[in-house]
Amino acid sequence: MSPATTSWIDALAQQHLDAAYNLGRWLLGNEADASDAVHDAYLRAVRAAHTYAGGNARAWWLAIVRNCCLARLAARKREVPLPDGFDSSKVTPLRSADNEVEDRACAAQQTARIAAELRALPAEFRETLVLREIEDLSYREIADVLGVPIGTVMSRLARGRALLQRALGSGAGEHKYGM
Amino acid sequence: MECKTIQALLESYLDNELARADARALEAHIDSCAECSALLTRLDALRRALRDGDLRYAAPTELRARIAASATSPESTDGGTSPVRILTANPSVRPRRTPAPWLRYAAACVLAFGAGSVSMALWNASPANTQSQLTRDLYASHWRALVANSPVDVVSSDRHTVKPWFAGKVAQAPVVRDFAEQGFALVGGRIDYVGAQRVPVLVYRHGQHLIDVFVLAGESATIGSASLSQGYRLEPIKLGDEFAAVVSDMDQTEFTRFAQLLAVK
Repeated sequence: MSPATTSWIDALAQQHLDAAYNLGRWLLGNEADASDAVHDAYLRAVRAAHTYAGGNARAWWLAIVRNCCLARLAARKREVPLPDGFDSSKVTPLRSADNEVEDRACAAQQTARIAAELRALPAEFRETLVLREIEDLSYREIADVLGVPIGTVMSRLARGRALLQRALGSGAGEHKYGM
Repeated sequence: MECKTIQALLESYLDNELARADARALEAHIDSCAECSALLTRLDALRRALRDGDLRYAAPTELRARIAASATSPESTDGGTSPVRILTANPSVRPRRTPAPWLRYAAACVLAFGAGSVSMALWNASPANTQSQLTRDLYASHWRALVANSPVDVVSSDRHTVKPWFAGKVAQAPVVRDFAEQGFALVGGRIDYVGAQRVPVLVYRHGQHLIDVFVLAGESATIGSASLSQGYRLEPIKLGDEFAAVVSDMDQTEFTRFAQLLAVK
């Protein structure tokens, strides 16, 4: 394949590299895996460039990134059987990091708590919230990335937000949350 | 609008996905309802916590370099005449949003932080899980279309416009016909996801009723028989030779009449 036919992929990947990495980082929980997944996604996008059929290019690219992340998660699950099949190893260090900043400023503590609770959410709600609140994607774009109907995007957002509100409201720093 | 309706729209409002007229109606309600206002304030507090929390991870420099290296090596056939690739730095800083316009409404209201469990109650109102995933997707798509700015992506009562519009977007463009003379006017079409599949949706109007016709490629087996959900009806039908599903709030007799029109080849 000549460089000319896939150079738009390079531009696309570079332009939305932070978005891709951020999604991977929130799905996979560490820098090495997220970087590898984004790199896989780039190679896959180059190979699959001809299958792009118009539409939102960012959503197309992020959908590939997400698929590469899910493939890694599946492989990880096969190698290391976790008790509940979910990322509990990633939550523990963050909770201890959370403790370390307890005597710092209120804002930093709040951020650490939100990050920890977001990380503790089931992946389907976490990825939807990350795409909406951190990447600022529209419902339609999120639906394209996840390959689900917009109605599902809306219900996942609502459920994810309700879970986060409950988790943040019931934690130790209750008085910190609110306005 | 009633509180229940308003509360179902709060998130779409905050997410900027509500039509302007609906947004104005919602703001007017928020102005005079402490309960809905408190819910909106809670949602917005969460959103600001997520957005202002600096939760975005920026891509490491190594990753940028790695991708740039892959970009120039394996795919290149012109002897690597351009080994240096200029990277456009992508600033991870997003423009800060200005506070939502409803804040001025909320500021005037008394906020009750103690009453926190209200939003969870909305969850228990969801329909029983007896429907298949496909059926739920179809209902969800229809409701979403009713809430959206416009239920169609291509607005046209001319079937010669609607069919070509589909042609570039789905594997097989559906048969598009207008039944305005029989009382079912073609409004347009859109593409929606059902499961992981992109399916064409033909949109008709019958009086005040909006009708979605989902053209399914042989998938309708899992719908089973007709079903009802929250006043809306879903029926599997034949669209000429193709399987389809109709979702609308028309009554039974109108449904049957419409299905007969569509079934004609």
